[in-house]
Amino acid sequence: MSDLKLTNIGKSFGKVEVLHGIDLTIRSGEFVALLGASGCGKTTLLRIVAGLDSVGSGKVEIGGTDVTDLPPEKRDIAMMFQSYALLPHMSVAENVRFPLRMRRQGARSEQAARVKAALETVRLAHLAERMPRQLSGGQQQRVALARAIVSDPKVLLLDEPLSNLDARLREEMQVELIDIHRRIGLTTLFVTHDQDEALSLSDRVVLMNAGGIEQEAAPRDIYDAPATAYASSFLGAANLLPAEISGGQARLADGQTLAVPAGTGAGAATLALRQENIDIGPDGSLTATVVTRVYLGARHRYILDLAGQRISVLAPASVMLEPGSAVRIGIAPDRIRVLPA
Amino acid sequence: MVRAVPGWVRIGAWIFVLLAALFLLAPLIVVMGVSVSEAQFIAFPPKGFSLRWYEKALNSPAYVDAFWLSLRLAALVTVSACILGGAAAIGLSRARRSGGVVETFFLSPLVLPSIIFAIGLLMVWSAIFGPTSFHALWLAHTVVALPYVIRTTLAVLAERDPHLEEAARTMGATRLQRLWFVTLPQCRPGLLAGAFFAFNISFDEAVLSLFLRNPNLVTLPVQIYGQLEFSPDPTVAAVSTLMILITVALMLILERMLGLTRFASG
Repeated sequence: MSDLKLTNIGKSFGKVEVLHGIDLTIRSGEFVALLGASGCGKTTLLRIVAGLDSVGSGKVEIGGTDVTDLPPEKRDIAMMFQSYALLPHMSVAENVRFPLRMRRQGARSEQAARVKAALETVRLAHLAERMPRQLSGGQQQRVALARAIVSDPKVLLLDEPLSNLDARLREEMQVELIDIHRRIGLTTLFVTHDQDEALSLSDRVVLMNAGGIEQEAAPRDIYDAPATAYASSFLGAANLLPAEISGGQARLADGQTLAVPAGTGAGAATLALRQENIDIGPDGSLTATVVTRVYLGARHRYILDLAGQRISVLAPASVMLEPGSAVRIGIAPDRIRVLPA
Repeated sequence: MVRAVPGWVRIGAWIFVLLAALFLLAPLIVVMGVSVSEAQFIAFPPKGFSLRWYEKALNSPAYVDAFWLSLRLAALVTVSACILGGAAAIGLSRARRSGGVVETFFLSPLVLPSIIFAIGLLMVWSAIFGPTSFHALWLAHTVVALPYVIRTTLAVLAERDPHLEEAARTMGATRLQRLWFVTLPQCRPGLLAGAFFAFNISFDEAVLSLFLRNPNLVTLPVQIYGQLEFSPDPTVAAVSTLMILITVALMLILERMLGLTRFASG
């Protein structure tokens, strides 16, 4: 049993409320991403689970035990820091052995075996005797990961662990993290501001906004069916347009109409349109004006003016439109997400 | 394009540097020269070559006793200044608001004239404990050596990764374990440098030692001063040269240790 349960967590720094009413349960072995913009409280929530910050209100349970008032050293957790926080005066092997040594887990020979196994998991066994400063950023990152998993903690906490790596290494480490998690199955809470990272790594995405949970769902569901305007704009940069719904049609601010999914309730609403789901072509039912064209290599991004509002549209690189020209656009009804106004 | 420094300016700068170095080294050269002179009196340039003044110094109970006293004192001051200064630096590096005031207080011996501290300490000590003792000297030297240890240790602590200690907590390290395995290793280069300063400050401190001396409590600098005042002969220069050599030796040892520490801690 190593599930993590947060009940009604609240936290303020002075007069500033950073978290309120957080309820979250993470099943044993689940990989959950805490996603949000900077300042949304996701790192504070992670630090509360670690015990590095105290709660203002609420309860933290790990494996069925209330740990709300336990200091971090008494909680059976491991945390990986954004800066890796390797001890500079200790070798790689000594760093990885550190949690076992501090907690007096096992005899020396057993510790050595576990250190070796952890380093093999991150494919760094050959660098065990190096000092941290002799390693590259990616290698240091993997030492930190080995150190986090060596003590077999009940909960593994990762604080933006990939943000200090360059793009290529980051993708490599994402694959490796998925692989390692599949093999050892630790309950993992992962903080990130990168939606791609959250979607690609986790079993479940918890989107945070202004100190609360905006939506939590499996990656596919939260992307395809965002529950709120914030969720749809944060995940995949959706275009949000106010509209008036009646009889299966949405009327935009300038009077243009487009079909929405059958059965959509009448009244004021917000349409969320993903930039990759908008088609440019003569069959489109809407007219817009080209504002800007951005060349992205494989594609063009167009900024269009639709009903007095700027929207972003992705088009193949072969589609060449000049700024100022009028263009027809369309969108399949089942690709439109209708949100409350 | 950056204009090159004209040749005459560079030559002028080199002459200035050489003169400054000469000015700094000249006294040492004079003292070392005098110490190997054959002449009875302190005179430069030296006449002939002889090690007799070294022999005389090493056979003089006054010098030898003073040397052992100074050495014992400097060693103990090094230990006490490092313990107190290290603890103060660790505390100050964590202090938030009131830290600045406390730091200024700890560093005040740097700016306070030591003669005033010497007079004050002598009066207080006499009033409470009577005659001065080794402990009075130990206390006095520790106070003036403390700021150096605090400064050097604070400097290395300012550069540390603030997450290291939190990381250690998440790995199960208790308060004592964090001090021993995380904080102290981080302080190490600063403490070593501070120890070097503390030893040297105590070993050649003269003002406090002069005020607190008694017939049984004469440190090496006080002995040298007394000798110069009453019966100057090149023995003084021989002893001074030995002091210089000890300092240089310490510096070399420390450089090796610090160099090794850097190698080990990155």
